[in-house]
Amino acid sequence: MRKINKFPELWFLVGGLILLVGVFLADHLLNRYLVHILILMGIYSITTVSLNLTNGYTGLFSLGHAAFMAIGAYTSTLLAFPIALREAYELPLLPSFLGGPEYSWPFFPALVAGGLLASIAALLIGAPVLRLRGHYLSVASLGFMVIVTTFAKTLRGITRGSMGINAIPSYTNIYWTYLWLFISVYVVWRIVNSRFGRAMLAIREDETAAQALGIYPMKYKLLSFAVGAFFAGVAGGLYAHFTKAIRPFEFSFFLTFQIVTMLIIGGMGTTSGPIVGAASLIALRYALKPVEEGLQIYGLIELIYATLLIVIMLWKPEGIMGKRHSRMS
Amino acid sequence: MLKIENLTVKYGVIPAVHNANLEVREGQIVALLGANGAGKTTILKTIMGILKPAEGNIYYQGESINFFSPPQRVKMGITLVPEGRGIFNRLSVEENLFLGAYHRSDKEEVEKDLNRIYTLFPRLQERKEQIAGTLSGGEQQMLALGRGLMSRPLLILLDEPSLGLAPLLVRELYSFIANIRKEGVTILLVEQNATMALKVCDYVYLLETGVVKVQGIAEEVWSREDVKKVYLGG
Amino acid sequence: MFSLGYLLQQTMNGVVLGCIYALLALGMTVVYGILRLINFAHGALITLGAFFTYFILVRLGIPLVATIFLVLGFGGLMGLVLDIVAYRKLRGGPEVALLITSLGFYTFIENFMKMVVSPQPYAFKTPSYLTTIFRTSFLTFRTIDLFIIGASIAIMWCFHLFIKKTKMGIAMRAIAENLEVASIMGIEINRVISVAFVLGSALAAFTGFMWGAKYGQISYDMGFLTGVKAFVAVVVGGVGSVPGAMVGGVILGLAEILSTAFLPTYFSEYRDGIVFAILILVLLVRPSGIMGVKEEVRV
Repeated sequence: MRKINKFPELWFLVGGLILLVGVFLADHLLNRYLVHILILMGIYSITTVSLNLTNGYTGLFSLGHAAFMAIGAYTSTLLAFPIALREAYELPLLPSFLGGPEYSWPFFPALVAGGLLASIAALLIGAPVLRLRGHYLSVASLGFMVIVTTFAKTLRGITRGSMGINAIPSYTNIYWTYLWLFISVYVVWRIVNSRFGRAMLAIREDETAAQALGIYPMKYKLLSFAVGAFFAGVAGGLYAHFTKAIRPFEFSFFLTFQIVTMLIIGGMGTTSGPIVGAASLIALRYALKPVEEGLQIYGLIELIYATLLIVIMLWKPEGIMGKRHSRMS
Repeated sequence: MLKIENLTVKYGVIPAVHNANLEVREGQIVALLGANGAGKTTILKTIMGILKPAEGNIYYQGESINFFSPPQRVKMGITLVPEGRGIFNRLSVEENLFLGAYHRSDKEEVEKDLNRIYTLFPRLQERKEQIAGTLSGGEQQMLALGRGLMSRPLLILLDEPSLGLAPLLVRELYSFIANIRKEGVTILLVEQNATMALKVCDYVYLLETGVVKVQGIAEEVWSREDVKKVYLGG
Repeated sequence: MFSLGYLLQQTMNGVVLGCIYALLALGMTVVYGILRLINFAHGALITLGAFFTYFILVRLGIPLVATIFLVLGFGGLMGLVLDIVAYRKLRGGPEVALLITSLGFYTFIENFMKMVVSPQPYAFKTPSYLTTIFRTSFLTFRTIDLFIIGASIAIMWCFHLFIKKTKMGIAMRAIAENLEVASIMGIEINRVISVAFVLGSALAAFTGFMWGAKYGQISYDMGFLTGVKAFVAVVVGGVGSVPGAMVGGVILGLAEILSTAFLPTYFSEYRDGIVFAILILVLLVRPSGIMGVKEEVRV
């Protein structure tokens, strides 16, 4: 038994090395534009992988994922913002327990902090909301997202309100992105293929039955929700330090919609599905961008996303990588 | 009138009913007996069209009805009075009765039938505006039966009508069932409580874990030793 | 200054908004009661209704009464199309599937409007007979306010009669309670559901008209938040309850307007957040809403 268990870990190690080589090559061989697209694919993949944990494996249909990205983005931005620019951009200096006014956080810890804060938010909002069934959970989580973005708009002293924050240092590069993608895929995989994972599956299939087996659903739901939120927060931080500017309205329902669409099209509840979904839809977006901007028909890309989603839901709901008779079909 | 051939019905992969054969002739009262979980309700639901057979055929008045939807079967004259009454608790007594005749378009006749039901069950008339969920068990059973009759069925399927009723009410119920037959309605009756059913019916099928174990004319089956021990003893 | 006049004025605004929510909630609660489906596409119908009305009423100058019927018809037709093309196919499937697909349709319609009509908001030049101002000692209001309140009351009354007295209305209530037993009554489930859908969609389109006429501006994304807020109204009033939807709608409208009117000015940005805070509160404290039937909201 031991030998078989060792194998998957080995695959990850090998896969990780291949990834490292691939990323290195991409960084040195491809032009900046393509590298940018790859980074974006990576960031979105992290969000879909994290959403997959909550929605796909645990069956909690949360529509508020963008909120966690927002929390992560703002947190990491505020922590890592260069001191010299803080006053100019009307951003607060860090209080002493966060390092004091002479300090700005390095990238990695800032990202982790963003993720952790998102997790904490998830636990706080999860306790009441995760008890709810299906549609109520979805709308409540949507509501949570609205509340978060409302705060982002109103707490001007901290977030600069609707104007958002610019001149964010561009720390994100392809190595960081794919490192975090690797971590998130590994962590999710580990959770799913463990006792926790099996319990989550049981909850997803039939919560009452699971309770009868002595599984306390809340514990597992909260765990999966919090881990999902963590990586979404990290992705948010990566995103902020990639696009160099963030505003509250970017973390809207439509961000969640895009992520959900990517996840469904790729295949909810599978390992590679989220990545396939994210990558293909980002690729599609960049392929269509010239058309949308050239012909000035704004909304084309979203429209196509929506069409794909509808088509998949009606004809292959398990997604590209999914199997028939999965939860969706 | 009703003929079931080699019926197999599955829940997922587990067969609830296996290779059952059943026949109900016009004007008969046929009883389908067996312990809990034997598959009796499954058969009734399949006849009604709520469940689909994995294998086998259902013939009604000579025609195969396998692919007819429940509303279509209702229009053909089959009515089910479900287990546990199946009344609409949030609707009034009259609304429930009215729904029984939903598929009918002959308004005047429906009115007449409604009055007939009220004459048969004066208690229902007293409570006609009352919300059905507030009725007593016996009254709910009356309502369920009345509603079933409102559809002017040719074949009525009764699923454990005596469930939860006091013995006195059960006797009343069964004399009522005997009267329905006089009106020309064919009855297929499912019961756990075999005693009363055996007294009123013509033919019996005994079901055990999805398979027809015994069948025959009521008096004969009733007097069999093995039947008495298993179903009537204690 | 928080005078009585101010209070009355804001209350009126709240009631008007509440009526709009109530009509939306009405359409949603009937469909939700039967199908357990939150139809996100409901919001899209608001947008469609608003733009449709804009083109026929403002651009083409079609008279008011005709407009009303045309909008209702248009909305109903759109609802029917949605039902036939997608929702029927997904009936009996997992709940999540319907939710996701309705999201897809919402996004599709919204971006279609964005692409085909305009990414910029349109000024809805309400005809003058609807914007005539009435000034009384305490209140200032326009004809459109009266129209909205009047139309809402009329529609709610009709709906109430429909659901209580007609054959189809009773059938809807039966299906909402127990679909299986309803089918053995001979009720054609699909047809009844389609009717519920068409009615709800017609109402949604009509509220789009009212919204545009009242607030003077329509845009491709006007439907989303409103649609979701309508769901909040449904929850507050009690899912599946027709009077509950109406009550919930009005309460939500009042809560939204009055809370932002009486809190310090910068709180007005919290408007949307307040609505959802109410939702979460209700779901935690009294999930069956004000008039609702005990339903499995929690697991």
